Amino acid sequence: MSTAARPPSLRLGQQDLKCRMGCGFYGTPQNDGLCSKCYREKFHDKQRKLKQKAGETGPGPSSASLDRRSPQHGHNHGKTEQQQVRKEDLSGTLQKKKFTAVLQKTLQAGAQKITQQRGHVPDPTEDQFLLQLRQLRIPDDGKRKLKLEIQRLDTEIRKYMNGNGGKNINELSDLVQNAYTKVSDTVHNDPSFEIATNEDRDSAIDFFEKVVMTQNHKFLFSPYFTTDEDSDVKVQKRIRKLSWITAKHLDCSIDEVNSEARDLVYNAISELVGIDSYYSPQEKLQCTWRCCRHIFELLKRATGGPASADDFLPALIFVVLKANPVRLHSNINFVTRFTNAARVMSGESGYYFTNLCSAIAFIENLNGESLGISSEEFEALMSGQQAYSTPWESALLACESLHLISENMKRMEELQKRNALISSRITSFEMELIDFQREVTERVDTVIAKAPLNLLPIKTPAFLIGQARAHLLNESEAGHYQANVLSGGGGTLTSQSLTAVGGLAKPSIAPEDAGLSLKDTSMVSMGRLSPLQQNIQPADNLFASPIFNYTAFDSVSLLEEPSSSDVLMLGSEFHGGLTNINYDFDLSDQSGENSTADDSKLNLDEFDPLAQKGPVNQPPSALPETSLLDSTTDSLIDSEVPGTAVLLPSPLKPEVANYRGFSNFDIPSISCNTGDFSSLGQDGAEPPK
Amino acid sequence: MATTPRSGGASGTGTAQRPNGTSQNKSCQFKLVLLGESAVGKSSLVLRFVKGQFHEYQESTIGAAFLTQTICIEDTVVKFEIWDTAGQERYHSLAPMYYRGAQAAIVVYDIQNQDSFQRAKTWVKELHKQASPNIVIALAGNKADLSNIRVVEFDEAKQYAEENGLLFMETSAKTGMNVNDIFLAIAKKLPKNDGANNQGTSIRPTGTETNRPTNNCCK
Repeated sequence: MSTAARPPSLRLGQQDLKCRMGCGFYGTPQNDGLCSKCYREKFHDKQRKLKQKAGETGPGPSSASLDRRSPQHGHNHGKTEQQQVRKEDLSGTLQKKKFTAVLQKTLQAGAQKITQQRGHVPDPTEDQFLLQLRQLRIPDDGKRKLKLEIQRLDTEIRKYMNGNGGKNINELSDLVQNAYTKVSDTVHNDPSFEIATNEDRDSAIDFFEKVVMTQNHKFLFSPYFTTDEDSDVKVQKRIRKLSWITAKHLDCSIDEVNSEARDLVYNAISELVGIDSYYSPQEKLQCTWRCCRHIFELLKRATGGPASADDFLPALIFVVLKANPVRLHSNINFVTRFTNAARVMSGESGYYFTNLCSAIAFIENLNGESLGISSEEFEALMSGQQAYSTPWESALLACESLHLISENMKRMEELQKRNALISSRITSFEMELIDFQREVTERVDTVIAKAPLNLLPIKTPAFLIGQARAHLLNESEAGHYQANVLSGGGGTLTSQSLTAVGGLAKPSIAPEDAGLSLKDTSMVSMGRLSPLQQNIQPADNLFASPIFNYTAFDSVSLLEEPSSSDVLMLGSEFHGGLTNINYDFDLSDQSGENSTADDSKLNLDEFDPLAQKGPVNQPPSALPETSLLDSTTDSLIDSEVPGTAVLLPSPLKPEVANYRGFSNFDIPSISCNTGDFSSLGQDGAEPPK
Repeated sequence: MATTPRSGGASGTGTAQRPNGTSQNKSCQFKLVLLGESAVGKSSLVLRFVKGQFHEYQESTIGAAFLTQTICIEDTVVKFEIWDTAGQERYHSLAPMYYRGAQAAIVVYDIQNQDSFQRAKTWVKELHKQASPNIVIALAGNKADLSNIRVVEFDEAKQYAEENGLLFMETSAKTGMNVNDIFLAIAKKLPKNDGANNQGTSIRPTGTETNRPTNNCCK
């Protein structure tokens, strides 16, 4: 980079490096601190003097040149190797400083291999080139001319290199550049190339450059009389010191942690490192081109559109820093000096090459300001006082666990951020919830305030109450009322009232039996078939008239809207309930006041022990008999009365069904309950008071 | 106006040396450098000129840093090779590498940003001092579609351009206003007879034979 091949205008920021002759241009260390023009003048004077001397002594040096070639070569080689040993030592001492010593060593080993190979390069490649020359689509005459030109430049370069005069790289560069111009002139204007197409002419010129450069790579690549190797080491050391630089410092959009992005960066790095492994400037430029294409690909993914130079240059600097390619300056200078000048001045490759040169210039001159950090921090980081850790570094160290830690740390940071976000959102959500709750309660309150919930007493249609009362009044006329009064009066009186009622009831059986013969028969048949028979039997024992019992039940059902379970329950209660009449009347009486089953149960409990007193003596003896009778009569009835048998598919169901059947038989529908009442009324009217 | 995206690689650079012997029309290739602060719309301007696009990019457009475009003026085919530069202040000192050997430069500023105009002025000064003497410089006030919130007045910039011998236009990469015009104006102003000679001289200021025989008009 720091050669005279670059115009003085590039020497920005190095104000103290003006030409020693005071011409106003910048000087370079290679030119003894002179600018290239002054150096050239001085150099020419020297040469002229030398030539004069040579003329006096005769053509000695030229004859000696052939003998001197191999030692010269050896010297050059030796120096390169010496340099590399020095480099290795350097990397060894810096190993503590954790940069990629391993990587560097392997790369240098590779470079050494290449240097060793270089000793026997020409033979196989020359054959290859001859083959390629034959394949060129230019007239044979042109091929011959091209070969001649190649040989001529080849000898010229070797002659210059083996000459014992003072050597200047710019002179050598000019020699090659002039040869290029000459060849280009020949190819385009010589009659022997007349029929060739433009493409073929171009490829002929390319071929010329490639052959000459590959064959003379060992002489022209970082020649011993330049300071290329020193600058290589210098820049390599500097990049190593700058290993703490992250993408953030460079304002570059590369995501160091993203594995996909890192793969693309690795591709770019491997291309950049690969520049050193090619001989010809064209191939080196192509390598640069490929490297930059990878970077563009990467940036396109990162930014979503074609990247501009604003994004590209920082990314390239980042890649150069992370790649730390070997012999960077030597490669760059080799290309600038010995490739066709137009190649680096125009075209896509030229643009990328210019960017690479800019990147290196930036790296060499960067300071804290250009990285957006304070100069103190920059110094601390450069001297290694301040610790640093980047995911990139750890990745390069190939230390997977360290890399993972860095990556995880970054991820943790992200997670922490997210966590903070989540908790803040939770609190806000909590607040929202509280607000919501308050809002809801407020709204509910307002709604309640607007429309208060008043529990109004259930309104029973007045006419129904009236009707019910009327019926009850009717019943009270029939002596039930007295019984009810007695039961309500007290426990002690109940036994007396029971017997009294029994006494009252018994006389009423006889006339009823005669009057309701039809009902009676049906009742008997039903009682036999249903499980209720046991309930009914004792009832029969106690009371002659079953209807009497059922009227009580019906009066309950009227007000209670009986469900099947209710009926069942009542059926079971029947057993106890039937034992005394009071119970039935109790219910019917309370029905007017919305009485419930619980009340009836209470009544039952109240009277059960008392009721059992009487019947307990009689039924046990009677029950087995009836049950036996039932079993025999069941079959009989089945055959005798098919009509009723059809109504009884299962023995349990009839309990209800038959019962209903009975009521149905008597009174067809619920509306007929009133009819029942009326029948009751008749019944009630029948028994004498 | 034909779009000729580069195939890239060595073949791409190789074409730069093709002579115009076969065609009747003259054909010239010019290197044009874009200078200007970041985010003034340098690359948008070029993408508009080269691809006719704004914000909607084709898959093939891999980067906007290096682009080529060929236009025809009268009987001459002018091929522009456009080199974008990084506009950030920290990369300012690297710019000479890019405009070395360039025949034309467009200095872009944002009409909403006074700083970018001041930066543009320093670019112009630098170009006058360090670039090849016959470089054609154009000053472009970009984002002209937002002229209602402008900071840099048209007349102010126009006057500055006239004083310094610059081409001046207010452009809009978004609407396409004056984008092609500014490139056309540059192409007209460029010397088309032997444009390649300038290219040769500036790269090797040290060489004694600066006027190396380059018979082809465009390089």
